Amino acid sequence: MKAGRLVTMSQAFIHVAVLRPLVRLFCGVHVTGAAHLQRLQRFIIIANHNSHLDVFLLFSLLSVRDIALTHPVADETYFERFPIVFALVRFLFQPVWIRRGHPDRKDDPLHGLKDLLDRGHNLVVFPEGTRGRPGELQTFKSGLGRLVSEYPGVPIVPVFLSGPERVLPKSSAIPLPFWSHVLVGPPQVCAGSPRDITQHLQDALHELAKSGVKRLRPRQRRLQSYQPAPAVAILGIDGSGKSTVSRRMAERLSMGGGACLVSDRLEFYENGEPKPLQPLVLDAARGLVSRYAKRARSLAHYKIPKLTELLLRDRMLAEVNRWYAPRIIVQDGSPLLNMAAWATLYGREDLSEDRLATAVGILAGQRHGIARSDPIFEELPELRHLDQLGLTHLVLPRRLVLLDLPATAACARIATRGEALQPHETEEKLKRLRDAYLKVVRIIDQHWRVPVLVLDATQPLDGLIVEAVRFLNVVLEEPSKT
Amino acid sequence: MVVVVIALGLSVVQGVRYVLGRRWPFGSYIGIMWAFFVAFATAELWSFRAGNWVFGFISFLALREYFSMVEIRLQDRPAILAAYASIPFMFHFVTVGWYGMFIISIPVYSFLAIPLLITLGGREKEGTVFSIGAIDFGLFLFVYCMGHISYLMSYSTWMAVMLILNVAVCDIVSRLLQEQGKPGWAALALSYFLPLPVTILFAVVLSPWTTIPWRHSAALGAMIPLLALMGRRTGSYVEADLGVAEETVGPGRGQILDNLKSLLLVAPIVFHYIRYFLDLP
Repeated sequence: MKAGRLVTMSQAFIHVAVLRPLVRLFCGVHVTGAAHLQRLQRFIIIANHNSHLDVFLLFSLLSVRDIALTHPVADETYFERFPIVFALVRFLFQPVWIRRGHPDRKDDPLHGLKDLLDRGHNLVVFPEGTRGRPGELQTFKSGLGRLVSEYPGVPIVPVFLSGPERVLPKSSAIPLPFWSHVLVGPPQVCAGSPRDITQHLQDALHELAKSGVKRLRPRQRRLQSYQPAPAVAILGIDGSGKSTVSRRMAERLSMGGGACLVSDRLEFYENGEPKPLQPLVLDAARGLVSRYAKRARSLAHYKIPKLTELLLRDRMLAEVNRWYAPRIIVQDGSPLLNMAAWATLYGREDLSEDRLATAVGILAGQRHGIARSDPIFEELPELRHLDQLGLTHLVLPRRLVLLDLPATAACARIATRGEALQPHETEEKLKRLRDAYLKVVRIIDQHWRVPVLVLDATQPLDGLIVEAVRFLNVVLEEPSKT
Repeated sequence: MVVVVIALGLSVVQGVRYVLGRRWPFGSYIGIMWAFFVAFATAELWSFRAGNWVFGFISFLALREYFSMVEIRLQDRPAILAAYASIPFMFHFVTVGWYGMFIISIPVYSFLAIPLLITLGGREKEGTVFSIGAIDFGLFLFVYCMGHISYLMSYSTWMAVMLILNVAVCDIVSRLLQEQGKPGWAALALSYFLPLPVTILFAVVLSPWTTIPWRHSAALGAMIPLLALMGRRTGSYVEADLGVAEETVGPGRGQILDNLKSLLLVAPIVFHYIRYFLDLP
């Protein structure tokens, strides 16, 4: 009796003073739900089995008193092969030995387990049998159900271990330090047929594993293929209400996914609500250029800053895709088409539709079979500069809405704003701009097969928006082109 | 005396945290502060050697947490063993003050050994680049950068204290700004300019103890918030990729990384600034 007590005490001492610090060093144990194990008189722990360290982790959960009273169930045939390990395991854990693969033995294979439960001891069972593949739960062995059905009063505590399979995997001999997470589930009390009990306990451990896996498992690497969002554009001359319309469009199109509005200000909408996002450096630069352009006195001074602003605004689409990942981008004006329309404003109204279509193609980066010596570059010198600088990869919108407004009405609306007039905001110039837009839109429709909706902007706003939303919504259903 | 005062201060903060419970906005930040305090106090009261090894242990804990979060393959285990094994080497070079070896041991020897060990661990070729990058980055951040703080401590404990204190100021301000939850240029500017007067003040006021001339102290005070900002940015991306979110952060789940990320740039750059301009060995 005295010798037995000495063994028990030295066993507990080694556990507390040596094994637990080592386990903490190598596994940094993080336990959730430890309270479930307290105040239980007699219990059976069931756990998933992926590593030899599992049993060390489970023993570090026990109170000092329980160390000597708890016995893991181990396979004698496995440990018999290593006599030193066998002796060590027997001293540290006092396991109950069962012999795997000897079903023809006369006596009950669960005899040892029942004996211990009768004496009020606790058991640690790995019901999967052997150590399985990391992170996967195997089906439980039926012996557990048979045992539990005879002891309906003993609570079963499911414990899910995540991490020891990394500290000491099945095929490895050297343990490496990694964090381990231990999830202790609520104690289960079961009754019924052995088969039902096994199934119930398996479900309980599965449930526990599922609750932890998402939180605890190191994240798998996954890369999403980059898919730029479709861009749609609202066109129109100043005063046609395109800023208002495009904002309302972005709100309406943001149902069920983010919609980004690229306008004078960059805005992001989700489910109809504006959502603040991180600012973009490029947008700040574009804002500066835009403010500078609006202060220009004449059209000649307006040209270069406006062109720069349009180029920056086009680059914004790529930035927006990269940083905000919207589902759709609503453009207040399309840089590509604005350029084409403005080209006519700078005194080249004689440009034929075919020539203009070629210019649009070059700007959109589709310069197939057009030589550098082509007369189009003579007619539009800016185009040559852009081409030489490699700035001709502007985005062609997927769908277009043109808000058509007579120049007189536009001038009247601009006058009511009470802001300083920009150089092109005269009736004569707006009329030319309007004609240019109509021409460009016609070309886009015929040569580039981009669906266009021309709306009469003198109508009330709400009607316009309903019609435009119906037209643009199609983009979201279309399969994306690459 | 100073040690006792700091200990009392930290205890008060710990008490406030206990009282506030879940409303405490700084997470486990106080924990890492205690760890640094233990390292500094050990170095001051007992011996630099012991304080240095406390840093080594912090470094080990941080590395262990990081490796627990990255996806590793079975054949990376030799390389990970080498990564852990370079901690004692690194901190040994700090203890003996062998600057040349301290500065090259990880970027040259460890970074060359790790890819080789990965190839020796098995025959799977897919994922090699990812593994090399993941292991090297952890080693760089949690051993190499931490080693710089320790080496700084070998010049003078106060230099390291000044560095940690100023980074803590930046971190606290940024966490409070984060609570407000406003992205934008204003928040970015505030997280630099709000701590700036405090960091400059601390650096200059501590200059008699750190023995850094006050001009350089002021320059360091101006540098630290910017470097901490950049470090936090990098760290937050790493965290996001590792799946550490505010609600899941915890022991073994990014707790240490979350608190150390500001030091990523600060530690090496401040160290080299001081070493260069003060002409230290």
